[in-house]
Amino acid sequence: MQVELIVNGSNYKAPVEPQRTLADFLRDDLRLTGTHLGCEHGVCGACTVIVDGQAVRSCLMFAVQADGSEVMTIEGLEKDGRLHPLQEAFRDCHSFQCGFCTPGFVMTALALIEEGTAPASEEELREELSGNLCRCTGYQSIVEGVAEAIRRTTETGAIGAVESGAS
Amino acid sequence: MRLVGANVPRVEDRRILTGRGHYVDDIQLPHMLHATFLRSPLAHARITGLDATGARQAPGVIAVYTGADMKEISKPIRPVIEMGLTPEYYALVTDKVFFVGDLVAMVVAESRQQAEDACELIEVDYDPLPPVLTYETALDPAVAPLFGDLDSNILATSHTEGGDVEAVFAEADRVIEVELSQHRIANVPMETRGLVADYDDGSGQLTVHAATQSPQGLRIQLATTLEHPLDKVLVLTQDVGGAFGLKGNIFREDFCACIATKQIGRPVKWIEDRNEHLLASGHAREEKISAQVAVTDAGDILGIKAELTMDQGAYPGLPFGASVFPAFITLLLPGPYKVKGYSCDAKVVTTNKCTYVAYRGPWAMETWTRERLIDIVAHELGLDPAEVRRRNFQEGAEDDRLITGLSLWGITSRYTLDRALELIDYAQVRKDQQVARDAGRCVGVGFATFIEAAPGPPEMRIGGGMFGGEQAKVRLEADGQVTVITAQSPHGQGHETTLAQVVADEMGVAMDQVRVVHGDTRLTPFSVVGTGGSRAATWASGAALMNARKVKEKVLAIAAAQLEVADEDLEILDGMITPRGVPSKAVPLAQIALQATLSPTSLPPGTDPNLEANERFLGEGITGSGWSGGTHACVVEVDLGTGAVKIVRYVVVEDCGRVINPAIVEGQIRGGVAQGIGQVLYERAAYDDEGNFLAGTFMDYLLPTATEIPTIEIEHVESDPDGEIGFRGVGEGGMIVAPAALTNAVEDALLPFGAKVTEQYLPPAKVLKLAGVI
Repeated sequence: MQVELIVNGSNYKAPVEPQRTLADFLRDDLRLTGTHLGCEHGVCGACTVIVDGQAVRSCLMFAVQADGSEVMTIEGLEKDGRLHPLQEAFRDCHSFQCGFCTPGFVMTALALIEEGTAPASEEELREELSGNLCRCTGYQSIVEGVAEAIRRTTETGAIGAVESGAS
Repeated sequence: MRLVGANVPRVEDRRILTGRGHYVDDIQLPHMLHATFLRSPLAHARITGLDATGARQAPGVIAVYTGADMKEISKPIRPVIEMGLTPEYYALVTDKVFFVGDLVAMVVAESRQQAEDACELIEVDYDPLPPVLTYETALDPAVAPLFGDLDSNILATSHTEGGDVEAVFAEADRVIEVELSQHRIANVPMETRGLVADYDDGSGQLTVHAATQSPQGLRIQLATTLEHPLDKVLVLTQDVGGAFGLKGNIFREDFCACIATKQIGRPVKWIEDRNEHLLASGHAREEKISAQVAVTDAGDILGIKAELTMDQGAYPGLPFGASVFPAFITLLLPGPYKVKGYSCDAKVVTTNKCTYVAYRGPWAMETWTRERLIDIVAHELGLDPAEVRRRNFQEGAEDDRLITGLSLWGITSRYTLDRALELIDYAQVRKDQQVARDAGRCVGVGFATFIEAAPGPPEMRIGGGMFGGEQAKVRLEADGQVTVITAQSPHGQGHETTLAQVVADEMGVAMDQVRVVHGDTRLTPFSVVGTGGSRAATWASGAALMNARKVKEKVLAIAAAQLEVADEDLEILDGMITPRGVPSKAVPLAQIALQATLSPTSLPPGTDPNLEANERFLGEGITGSGWSGGTHACVVEVDLGTGAVKIVRYVVVEDCGRVINPAIVEGQIRGGVAQGIGQVLYERAAYDDEGNFLAGTFMDYLLPTATEIPTIEIEHVESDPDGEIGFRGVGEGGMIVAPAALTNAVEDALLPFGAKVTEQYLPPAKVLKLAGVI
């Protein structure tokens, strides 16, 4: 089958087997290996990407289901050599160690911020992030990183600016 | 600015945050094939028939290997380091399967999907055999040994003692007996196991891209087992998605993939799926201790007698199997307390379960046992557990010794307990607890203290200790950059950052002028451990620092001769070699480096143009006690309706000596505590009575999420803050002591119901049982 989609702003048209997952398509066919596979059964969240504005688990979605969609992966956040405020906050808050789960957390948090539904309390934020597993950090620094990114983007209105590559 | 002690942002971060890390599954080589394994559905059975005809003919299949093939083309696996008894076994099973998930056959195909499909076409007939699943069965002399070449299912025994244990037991007012057991859990890094093995028939080189903690350990075991020349085995490791001890092991799948690439001549990739990982990668911690404690009514702990039994599962872990670890557990069990008599007998047994592997503080049973025993003693005697600890602590005086012999000079156990209880406001917590109890709520407070030999006291470091210290190479490049080649193989610990901090300070250069190289066995020094055992802080930092100093001495000798000043009148400030007090005469480090590289003959006579050093660091210059340690304290509330345990507050007072990078140290501690919490409340690698594995997905093996792990408050105790190499290991401590603090808190909460926690696993149903609700 043929799929046509936009990934990180670039158009792709590629043949794909019907049973190929979006994760495998991104990683193996497009060589966007920043999206990681931690469980391949939809629990760990490491493979989270944004499809048409929604955070999805790319291990549970077939590539053909993304036909005609706009996909964003971790590789799409940096613009003109500048990290996205989320990436900066993750760095500043030491929000990861081995980094394997990080792209999934960043994309989950990105969806939260972009939807404008980022929670105000730590408890709610922890709830929102509880669909992603991390084995290194004990989560505290991830929660701090996301909270810091929310603070920075809300104060400066930087989200829209980042979208246009001018943060 | 001094970099050591500062929250320097990590060198590793940018590549990871932009999705440009290099993990093993990111490797795609031309003509690469994919391997998958057929695994045993039974715990113990004889294979009576195996037909791989269908698989061999399936689309895309290049080769199918069975145990019979392996027996023909490879030799039995033997550990490179001597340990307990090892049965004869091969990379694939030859006649019997020994656990659910055991390796029956390997399929190599053009795609992973084709390999998986073909695996299903292999027909195997099994004749089930009775499985050995418990300590009792394994120890029963009437039960036939699992492995035909071993006399029993006991692989190792040992006896440790100190003081006159019988005499102190005779003096005791009473002897308290208890059996404590830890359940089987697993390391579960977010990245599963995997490798890409790539044999080049032209050069004879076997290149292995591996997710490993120990590239050199993997290399030497592969060379030995495959009888492949060591100089033609290259292991490459870049980013590794977590390991926690697991990936320090060399796995049978590693041998299989290497054998396949050698036979086929094309690269072979194997990436484990999560089900395989939970089933067959490795399990940890299944241990029990039967203990007797001799005490006085006033709360003096006079003596401990213990019997330790460990379950190795089916095969020995390589290079450090279960048999290696009783020595650590029995050595450390009495901990920082004034125990006068001690004995411990240890046994390691083999069973029909997944292989035991080291997991973050693999000897942690000593801390859990001891700190549980102290609370049990306190409750039995009607004393406060804090007071029993205080009464029995050693002070860290010059002649203080663990009853097993090690010097405890400089330990800070008493201070960390006092400080943790102060931070948690112990007196107030006890008052609040009473108020809560009066209101029908169930609140508990628990704490526990540990010491960890990281690197250990001087007598453990003679000649560099059990691994002979550590090597590192430091080189000043022609452009003034400093390269540090380490024997560590980091997988989240941030050594590219911390070692650069240490070396940048020593060399007097900026952080970005130091590059840390790891994970390439052509360059990196030998270490069978790689990164593990909380060794990096002391051994790798020390090795990097000492060799940086040697390079610096060479550079300063050159500059001193050129500037006609004495070596000791020079310092390096931000990359400039500067005569003290005369900055106008400063010479760039890069200038000397370039000169030494391009025109070594132009250097002053008697100086050395080889601006590098790679001496083995044997521990000279290590300062402080050698003991990491600390106290954790937590407050919990138990819901008697659901059995859920909520951690209300968690405080850590940690002494790992001089802190190189506080953010990294705190990350290590919090990560360890989170794993300790998971271990007690959520995680269990469970088997049923027939040896079927019950926790094969993340819906069954429950990892804690952001909602289960509380905020963890940390205070550092930097004993000996000015010592030169006063950095001590911190990777394991959080996980070593957290289960003790947490189980003590849960028991404390449930004391009104007469609860006594003797099994470490406390899921809701168990909590409700302890409370007498069900």
